[in-house]
Amino acid sequence: MVNDTSSRHRGAFTLLKRAVGAAILAGVVGGGGFLAYAWYPSIAPIAKPAASSFSDEAVRRGALVAAAGYCAECHTRQDRGGGPALAGDYAMETPFGAIYSPNITPDPETGIGHWSEAAFKRAMNRGVSRDGSHLYPAFPFDHFTKVSDQDVADLYAYLMTRAPVHMEHRANTVPFPFSIRLLQAGWKLMFFTPGRFRPDPNHDTQWNRGAYLAEGDAHCGSCHTPRNLLGAEKASHAYDGAVIDGWIAPPLNDHNPTPVVWTEDELFAYLRHGVAPLHGSAAGPMAPVPHQFLSQLPESDVRAIAHYYADLDHAAARAGQDQAAIAVAMAQSKIDLTGPQTDPDARLYQGACAACHYNAAPAPVSGRPELALNNALWLDEPNNLFMVMLHGIGAAEGQDGIAMPSFYAGLSDADMARIAAYLRRTRTTRPPWTDLEKKAAAMRATLKTPPINASH
Amino acid sequence: MKTTFELNGKPVSVEAPGDTPLLWVLRDDLDLTGTKFGCGIGECGACTVHVGGRATRSCITPLSSIEGAAVTTIEGLDPAGEHPVQVAWRDIQVPQCGYCQSGQIMQAASLLKDYPHPTDDEIDGVMGGSLCRCMTYIRIRKAIKQAAAQAAGQPGEQTGGDATHG
Amino acid sequence: MGKLERIAARQDGRALSRRGFLLTAGGAGFVFGFARPASAAQTYPSAVPGGLFEPTIWCAIGPDGTVNVNIIRAEMGQHVGTALARIIADEMEADWDKVKITQVDTDPKWGLMVTGGSWSVWMTWDVFRQAGAAARTVMIEEGAKLLGTTPAACSARNGMVTGNGRSISYGDIVARGRPTRQFTPDDMAKLPLKPATERRLIGKPVAALDIPAKTTGQAIYGIDVKIDGMVYARPKMPPTRYGTKVLSVDETEARTIPGYQRHVVLDDPSGIVPGWVVVIASTYPAAIRAADALKVEWSPGETHTVTEAEIIAHGHALIARPDGGTYVFDDKGTQDALHEASRVMERSYTCASVAHYQLEPVNAIARHIDGQWEIHTGNQWQSLVLPQLAKALAVPAEQIVMRTYLLGGGFGRRLNGDYAVPAALASKALGGVPVKLILTRSDDMAFDSIRSPSVQTIRAGLDPQGHVTGMRYDAVAGWPTEVMAPAFMQKGVDNKPYDQFAVAGADHWYQVGPMQLRAISNDLANRTFRPGWLRSVSAGWTPWALESFLDEVAHDLKKDPLAMRLSMLTAQGRNAGSAPDSNGGAKRQAAVLQRLADKIGWGRTTLPADTALGLATSFGQERGMPTWTAGAAQVHVDRKTGVVTCQKLWLVIDAGTIVDPGGALAQTEGAALWGLSMALFEGSEIVGGTIRDRNLDTYTPLRIPDVPDMDIEFADSTEKPMGLGEPGVTVIAPAIGNAVFNAVGARLRHLPIRPEAVLAALHDTTTA
Ligand code: FES
Ligand code: FES
Repeated sequence: MVNDTSSRHRGAFTLLKRAVGAAILAGVVGGGGFLAYAWYPSIAPIAKPAASSFSDEAVRRGALVAAAGYCAECHTRQDRGGGPALAGDYAMETPFGAIYSPNITPDPETGIGHWSEAAFKRAMNRGVSRDGSHLYPAFPFDHFTKVSDQDVADLYAYLMTRAPVHMEHRANTVPFPFSIRLLQAGWKLMFFTPGRFRPDPNHDTQWNRGAYLAEGDAHCGSCHTPRNLLGAEKASHAYDGAVIDGWIAPPLNDHNPTPVVWTEDELFAYLRHGVAPLHGSAAGPMAPVPHQFLSQLPESDVRAIAHYYADLDHAAARAGQDQAAIAVAMAQSKIDLTGPQTDPDARLYQGACAACHYNAAPAPVSGRPELALNNALWLDEPNNLFMVMLHGIGAAEGQDGIAMPSFYAGLSDADMARIAAYLRRTRTTRPPWTDLEKKAAAMRATLKTPPINASH
Repeated sequence: MKTTFELNGKPVSVEAPGDTPLLWVLRDDLDLTGTKFGCGIGECGACTVHVGGRATRSCITPLSSIEGAAVTTIEGLDPAGEHPVQVAWRDIQVPQCGYCQSGQIMQAASLLKDYPHPTDDEIDGVMGGSLCRCMTYIRIRKAIKQAAAQAAGQPGEQTGGDATHG
Repeated sequence: MGKLERIAARQDGRALSRRGFLLTAGGAGFVFGFARPASAAQTYPSAVPGGLFEPTIWCAIGPDGTVNVNIIRAEMGQHVGTALARIIADEMEADWDKVKITQVDTDPKWGLMVTGGSWSVWMTWDVFRQAGAAARTVMIEEGAKLLGTTPAACSARNGMVTGNGRSISYGDIVARGRPTRQFTPDDMAKLPLKPATERRLIGKPVAALDIPAKTTGQAIYGIDVKIDGMVYARPKMPPTRYGTKVLSVDETEARTIPGYQRHVVLDDPSGIVPGWVVVIASTYPAAIRAADALKVEWSPGETHTVTEAEIIAHGHALIARPDGGTYVFDDKGTQDALHEASRVMERSYTCASVAHYQLEPVNAIARHIDGQWEIHTGNQWQSLVLPQLAKALAVPAEQIVMRTYLLGGGFGRRLNGDYAVPAALASKALGGVPVKLILTRSDDMAFDSIRSPSVQTIRAGLDPQGHVTGMRYDAVAGWPTEVMAPAFMQKGVDNKPYDQFAVAGADHWYQVGPMQLRAISNDLANRTFRPGWLRSVSAGWTPWALESFLDEVAHDLKKDPLAMRLSMLTAQGRNAGSAPDSNGGAKRQAAVLQRLADKIGWGRTTLPADTALGLATSFGQERGMPTWTAGAAQVHVDRKTGVVTCQKLWLVIDAGTIVDPGGALAQTEGAALWGLSMALFEGSEIVGGTIRDRNLDTYTPLRIPDVPDMDIEFADSTEKPMGLGEPGVTVIAPAIGNAVFNAVGARLRHLPIRPEAVLAALHDTTTA
């Protein structure tokens, strides 16, 4: 949706920005041996393979690999009214300038029509372009390296059978020295371990299938694992959650603070349908993941991912408290909403939010997200709460077909701060958030254009 | 920008900027003026419509965000204006100036979907966001209960108010 | 003749001498109303069919039997059309199912067009009964002819004339008899009226004619009107209501908004909208954004730093001065009584600014067509705004017509028609193109005609036996009538003008010995904002002082506040009342109070800790039209937080004949809740020359969970009907204040009652 385009841009941009930082440092530590390590030959262009050279079966499988990896998300222009799928020119802005994603349709001049399967495989496995230059780690080759050879081959088949789109992406405006791709090699030296996924024999097939998808193609850690100063995922903090320019990608392990555990069912509902009844909706950069991509996969694959993360967050061991937590939330849901009320913050919440978010026991009604259970309210920072208030959630995002309005024009920073403080105080057991008005303003500043032209 | 959605059961396309509030699209482009402008900030409920069957404040809902969705306004709640909530509203003589009542009715209709036999608490919790400056609240509460009873096939309450005539 | 009849007569004379039926054709061909049957109710332009019999301007009978009643009062939720049509239909013995109502435009033949003060039924009662009698008389005369008998042998009932063993319908009488008889007001006044025992519609439950369309989205309000070729407009509000000048306008950014057309710096000879700039755009959202983007530099008026506290302080200062103000009562011996009293009690009470927040933000469409200015809007006082528009547009008032639509709430806001002025001036700047101007809510609130902050000081002399022997009452507030309609001000006993709507309620019916009542205009308030008439106007705050004060006196004297009040409602002297409006006088106020006390078991109930009853009484809006009112509140006070919870409200009201019981009850429910809202939930303050709150994020009127249990009772009566739109407001706040005192001993003297004030008062009681 248009509203969230900018935030998704910035999600990818954050990866890039950190990678650029890495490039400089790598350049400093580099030496002669480094050059040898860093240098890759160009792979000779080929004539664009005929579509008939790929089996239907391979193409069909490849489509699923593309869906699980969200290729179209970063390889399709979103600004300027959008662009053809996979034709690139997706804008990622950095403080140094803009970078535009490449065209991955099989157009020979502007796309990957001249790429052999070996060149494509090298890009996926090593993060190196056909001409031998290093790709920025905005392209998550650290995850894609885990994708099996078969899946890469299928993905190649899928991409090479798309209609070629002749479209040049806009010229990057990143200045020297950040534009020296070679410097990316230093980063790889420090943080990148190439190699295909290896199943864990201690776990069953479903678990391993989930792990394979999550760690590889679906590259969940790209957003949900914090990064070090050089922009590499911190292996020791895998899935602890991270900030993606404004939005918080919440922890996917047992550091997730929500009162009800992310069980396999909740995860599945979220990843498949965009909404976890006891946690909330997929919004912001996560919004397209369920509806546009994961919904194309076989249900068993989505369930496998859910299964994998439910194990990772020890859901089975922790879920015993869930019923009690729901009961508490149901009691909290009605706080200050029944009977006379003079607290101005409670009244603000009552007017703006409660009609949609009030719930009565025994459990939240579908389409009535319960804030006392919602991720956004329990995280360390109010980012997601503010972001959702500002952006709203379109009918094509989150729970299908229903929409949350945008309070961008309706609520001032002070109003948003009041609601956040009030909810944190009355609907959670977590310590109060601080500096809320400033944070609200900061979140507002991340939206380049107001999502709504409403009055006040 | 062109946005296509379903309005009162029929597909419509609107040519308007994506950041236009649904409220003004309905009122000015589509001539459905039953949906009202009260506060413009999502705090009064006068502009309430249904999106995907759920009560939604149209004054702050961008047109772009309802692409492909199903929108219902007061005009489309029931083709004959005979939705149980509307019938109860007339029986109990709820409206005064009436300006808030489209929104109240749309909100009440969705309340009854979620809570078919709403308690006073549930009415407070859901209807608390719908301001009636004429303060028809006593009758709103009564009419919701009557509509619930009627929908369940039970006899409704008697009409009229609380007054004794002494 | 009552005060308002005088006003009406004055207006009538002026209007009728000014011009004839200039608009008859246009006016009759383009009307809004509610057609029957109810399921097909519509409000849209409809042509009036021909062949009508119109005995008076008020009603017409069609050959199909349809009875059309012309309503000149604005429909803003009181179901006024239904109530008024019942009066005419009852007297004419019409078939109610054939009655429809028409909301008319501003043809001068209608006389004074104002809807406010809860006057509508009271003002229309006599004339509509006479108009009904006129129609009935003709139907019987003509019917008798057609039935071949004499009028004396005929009777009328339910739209039929019966005589000689046969019946004929009104429709057939019109179709076949083609009656043409017309009645002058003098003829009408001579007609015999039915006795109360013969009433068949008045006092019976009825479904309001305006309600069905309000449940289907079909009802048309001012904001819903569309005219071909119209453009949208939003004003850019200047920093102060008065004295603002536009220094420069920069539209560079506004020009980048698609749909922005231009801006107009208004030049307003009427002085109503100084410094306003209007943004014109092809859609309203474009106008919203463009107005935000337009950069205007103003030199603000001198009041741009005024605060609520300053206005209140100025009020206190004005009361402290012996000069100034107007004496409404100046009984001989008042000062002597106070000097000679064994003790004098004096207390001051204040009330904060209150916003109307009528749910439909003010708006208007203006256009110039066929040599006329047409204003389409919702308005409560057409007779006031037309001359103002004439001045603004610099055209004779004859060239302006206003078409009034349903009002999305009035509450007095639309008595002030100021919002039509910028629409008209913008249209004028555009050469008469239809301009639809809508204020966003924050625009609307910035220059709402708020209820002025007020200060009241009451002094009572007490004798050793604990009787009140004299009273001095000073009331100061912004004066809406002085600012907006000075010709309508009353004269005091000192022959100076005063705003009766800024003091009514203080001129009470209690026996207090000699009394001085001084009304003072708060000039600082008047200069800062346009004080407004707001539901129940001064009677929304004078009983707060008077009834709180009487409880304070009773407490001080260790008397029962009920018994003390009853002992003072003796109906002597000016409090004896007079026909037809105040028959019985203060005795009727005593009666409702006693009835209330019986109902609530005053003095006989035990309630939980920190919970108590409080009571108050009033006479509704004004002495000239007393609606005898008594109210009680049961509150609980949380000593820790200071939060006051109103658990239950009772009202007993004697409003004379109740024409439309359902509507009367609805109005009273709403009024009581307004009283509660202004006592505990809303209220604002002036900051930097304008009201601080601009929307519901900070302005917090009562919502559904705040509604307490309510018990409302109307006295059975066949007296002339009095108003009911507002009296329910009057007693609520003082009843709550008194209940708070009875519950925890904390005396509040400022409205609204905030938890912090309760805590402070509790602190005073424990440290005292
Ligand atoms: S107008 Fe939309 S909530 Fe008030
Ligand atoms: S009926 Fe007037 S605002 Fe609700």
